[in-house]
Amino acid sequence: MENDHKDISGLIFKIKRFSVHDGPGIRTTVFFKGCPLNCVWCHSPEGISPDISIWHDKNSCIACGQCVEVCPLKALRLLKTDSENIIEINREICNLTGNCVKICPADAIRFTGSVISVSGLLSEIEKDIVFYETSGGGVTLSGGEALHQPEFAEAVLRVCKEKNIHTAIETCLFAEKEIIKSISRFTDLFIIDLKLFDPAYHRHFTGQSNEVILENFLYLASTGKEMVVRIPLVPGITDIRENLDSIEKLVSSTGRDIPIEYIDYNPLARNNYEKLNLPFPQDEIRSSNVR
Amino acid sequence: MVNLHDIKPTERIISLREKTISAERYLSIEQAKIITRVYQQNENLPVILKRAKALAASLSEISISIDPEELIVGNRTSEIRAGVVFPEAGIAWLSKEIETLPYREQDPFNVRKKDTEFFRENIEPYWRGKTLEDDIYRSYGQEFAAIEKVVKINQKDHAQGHICPNVENWLRYGPTGLLKIAREKAGRESDESKIFYESVCITLEAVCRFIKRFETLASDLVESQNERPAKENLEQISAVCKNIAIKPPSSFREAVQSVWFLFVILQMESNASSFSPGRMDQYLYPFFINDLKTGKTGLNEAVELMDALFIKFNQIVYMRNAHSARYFAGFPIGFNITIGGQDLSGNDVTNDLSFLFLKAQDHIRLPQPNLTARIHKSSPDEFLKECSRIISLGTGMPQIVNDDSIIPAMVKAGVGKDDAMNYVLVGCVELSTQGNYLGWSDAAMFNMVKVLELTLNNGVCMVTGKQTGLQTGYLYDYDSYSDFEKAFAAQIIFFIGKMIEACEVVERCHQTHLPSPFLSAVIDDCLDTGIDVTRGGARYNFSGIQAIQIANIADSLAVLKKLVFDEKFFEKKRFLEALKSNFAGDEVLRQHCLHLPKYGNDVEWVDELGAKWVRFFAEAIGNYKNYRGGSYTMGLYTVSAHVPMGQNVGATPDGRLSQTPLADGGLSPMYGRDKNGPTAVLNSVSRIPSDLAGNGTLLNMKFLPVYFNNEYLRDKFSSFLRGFCSLPIHHVQFNVISPDELRKAKADPESYRGLTIRVAGYTAYFTELSGDLQDEIIERTTHGE
Repeated sequence: MENDHKDISGLIFKIKRFSVHDGPGIRTTVFFKGCPLNCVWCHSPEGISPDISIWHDKNSCIACGQCVEVCPLKALRLLKTDSENIIEINREICNLTGNCVKICPADAIRFTGSVISVSGLLSEIEKDIVFYETSGGGVTLSGGEALHQPEFAEAVLRVCKEKNIHTAIETCLFAEKEIIKSISRFTDLFIIDLKLFDPAYHRHFTGQSNEVILENFLYLASTGKEMVVRIPLVPGITDIRENLDSIEKLVSSTGRDIPIEYIDYNPLARNNYEKLNLPFPQDEIRSSNVR
Repeated sequence: MVNLHDIKPTERIISLREKTISAERYLSIEQAKIITRVYQQNENLPVILKRAKALAASLSEISISIDPEELIVGNRTSEIRAGVVFPEAGIAWLSKEIETLPYREQDPFNVRKKDTEFFRENIEPYWRGKTLEDDIYRSYGQEFAAIEKVVKINQKDHAQGHICPNVENWLRYGPTGLLKIAREKAGRESDESKIFYESVCITLEAVCRFIKRFETLASDLVESQNERPAKENLEQISAVCKNIAIKPPSSFREAVQSVWFLFVILQMESNASSFSPGRMDQYLYPFFINDLKTGKTGLNEAVELMDALFIKFNQIVYMRNAHSARYFAGFPIGFNITIGGQDLSGNDVTNDLSFLFLKAQDHIRLPQPNLTARIHKSSPDEFLKECSRIISLGTGMPQIVNDDSIIPAMVKAGVGKDDAMNYVLVGCVELSTQGNYLGWSDAAMFNMVKVLELTLNNGVCMVTGKQTGLQTGYLYDYDSYSDFEKAFAAQIIFFIGKMIEACEVVERCHQTHLPSPFLSAVIDDCLDTGIDVTRGGARYNFSGIQAIQIANIADSLAVLKKLVFDEKFFEKKRFLEALKSNFAGDEVLRQHCLHLPKYGNDVEWVDELGAKWVRFFAEAIGNYKNYRGGSYTMGLYTVSAHVPMGQNVGATPDGRLSQTPLADGGLSPMYGRDKNGPTAVLNSVSRIPSDLAGNGTLLNMKFLPVYFNNEYLRDKFSSFLRGFCSLPIHHVQFNVISPDELRKAKADPESYRGLTIRVAGYTAYFTELSGDLQDEIIERTTHGE
């Protein structure tokens, strides 16, 4: 069964074309849903959960109230105040029937992710093949965490390699070594997010310790695979000199010339939390002042 | 390759530039006085002779001036940026508007009281009823009015431009050489062409005199200067003019000056938009390289000359009536310079001068000239990178055109292969060959979106309630999408028929009123055949018709097909009512319309709906021959007409509100609706059959400046241009500015006086555009976040 891998499906939450910051050339970046970490600065919270939920964009919503009427569980209601009408979602009751998504005329209510097959995704990726060719670009798997759906990720990378498309994966490396080993057969470039060197801080701010990550990093470096390291500069958390020094030291300890990119923190992240009715974690950090 | 990296604009250039942008614009009636007098003295002569004598008198008498700082001299008025009154073409509009000219929102001009009086007392009475404009309206006025919401017919009150003269010949022979050719021909021809040749000779003799006047003026001015360099400059101007008045140019400076005189004089004869110099980096190259080798002109001097020429291109503006000024906002005069590209065998011919032109753009950054870079699959990386760097400066130039898409389209339209290989852009994005082509671009703009509206409403205009189109039925009378399509086709055919009749009237009147002997001397094959260019003397005789606007057509048809006909999601009566009431009280319906897939997002079925009607339109106009015996070709560009044309159209099925602007550009997606990035836009655009658009196409894109912050990203942009080049798309141009910056400029025009923006195939000062056009530009999707 040669083509089995093409029938695999996975869960993604975004496809970004003309992506110019995720590897060489002009790329299409695919954002996989689900992440083993839970970084407090995460700017795409919709990518963290491996499950689909409902996304509500208040700015697009015209408060027509049709969603309220079609929900069999009465999970939505129309709140009328003096200044505006607002749709409220009771996420406790919602079981993702999706009637509201279907009826919404303004695309203000959407699922936070969608299931797509490998072949379906490939045809999206192939749309920009002309530009990959002229720019030395290709596809980048990102997330969430692409390695959180290892079979799907591997299958996507594999079909891309079959089409001679340059492949990259942007990952935190929090995964079993076997997965990394297997996937690296179809991956031209690893873009590795190293956030915090200190295991305790790492656990505190991301929910997981970083032993596995550092081990995988050193393993991957030893294979000679092409790598780039990325450090998100989160004010007061990762951009501390001591942390940056330690990560830089780790990278140079590999004896390889691995480039390090420093990524400015995205201040627009807050909007995405609002759409999911989630509290913005950094508000909490600021008040607790851990460091 | 020469190294231009460290060459900066000189103090002279900075000063000339500042003087140019701060000059006040005035109405000028000086030439109108001369023309009126000559016509009065020669009532019984054939029009072509009257025109020749009027031009000759103007060349001899018009007041001229030289700014001692200038390197390149000459203008058609002594003041710069004057709005020239041109009575033969039409003054009826001016007699209505002369008092309001200083106060109109778009493109105002100051008017001196004595000029208004002279105009009212002497010019207007003589010309009343005699002009091109009067003749056209007498012949066809009511018919124009009947179709004006659908078809805008152009060139009704001014001469046709959009022409690239044979500059190579002009430089090879000079005015005296051309005169000799005309005289030799004149002896052995029939009566009609005898008069033609006589007229050509009258103008060419006057051209020599005109250039000599600058020789004299420059040498007279030497005494007025105290500094040695200033005296020397004037002496040099004098020497240059002396030589080129009688001989072909022999140096780079002489060649550049000679080219400039050619364009000044073409403007003095025709007062038309868009005489374009074409492939300057090619025909000036022999002069440039020879001077460089012999040391006659150094590299710094060559750049300064180019800078000086670029400034000159901004000193002639073109005054339109208030209505047209909205369709062509911000004085697009269309001096289009085409650089790069291939030779007849397909070899890349990008050269040092191509880079010199980019350098001049870097230095000057004004709306003119309109700089166009030809690229193809073998264009050198260095050229693409430098184009990307200049684009990143935010002046909207160079615009990029694609040899691999355009050359086959021109051949398909009926142009010979060699001429097609040598193509240039004229005006904004109009395609032409070099030196032998009358393309009659902008003959008419055809508002397909309006026709769509009429098709839904039994031919009744939703804005005025008037019966305008055929009574093909209401939306609810059509049982299926294909029934609707049949009605749409019938309405298009009906209006095309009306439009063609109107175009013929216009061309016939141009032949009567505006024969152009000087222009004919520099367009092949007029001098060979003895036929004036307006009568079909050029080798190629096309007429360009613009189909407007593909994004709104595709988006609207997608909604009709899917939501109304296929899925019957909306009942037809409700849908039509929603459109007629501008979606009043039916926001839910409008939101559904807005959120169906849109053109520009790489959604094939939507793009194809638009492509189908582009094909239909191109074939339909292809069935007609124009008044000169040539073909009609389709253009897909709008200049700034998407704003006024939108005002003619009621609410449309794509969710667009009544009387708001249509999509910009020509092939651009509706502003704000392309959400999948620039590569998706290009893929969508590539599905529209540009190979049928022999008259040219236009695609606007807007990028954030942050996208160009470093060389790494600029290189990615260059490879994006290479990707563009491998798709069947003729043209793309880029605004590089953030919407916030534009909002600031709108609020505080004084601080942003120098800010230029790409409108549609041309660049204008942002703060000189009307408010609704400014808003539309702000709303266009910005890429690169």
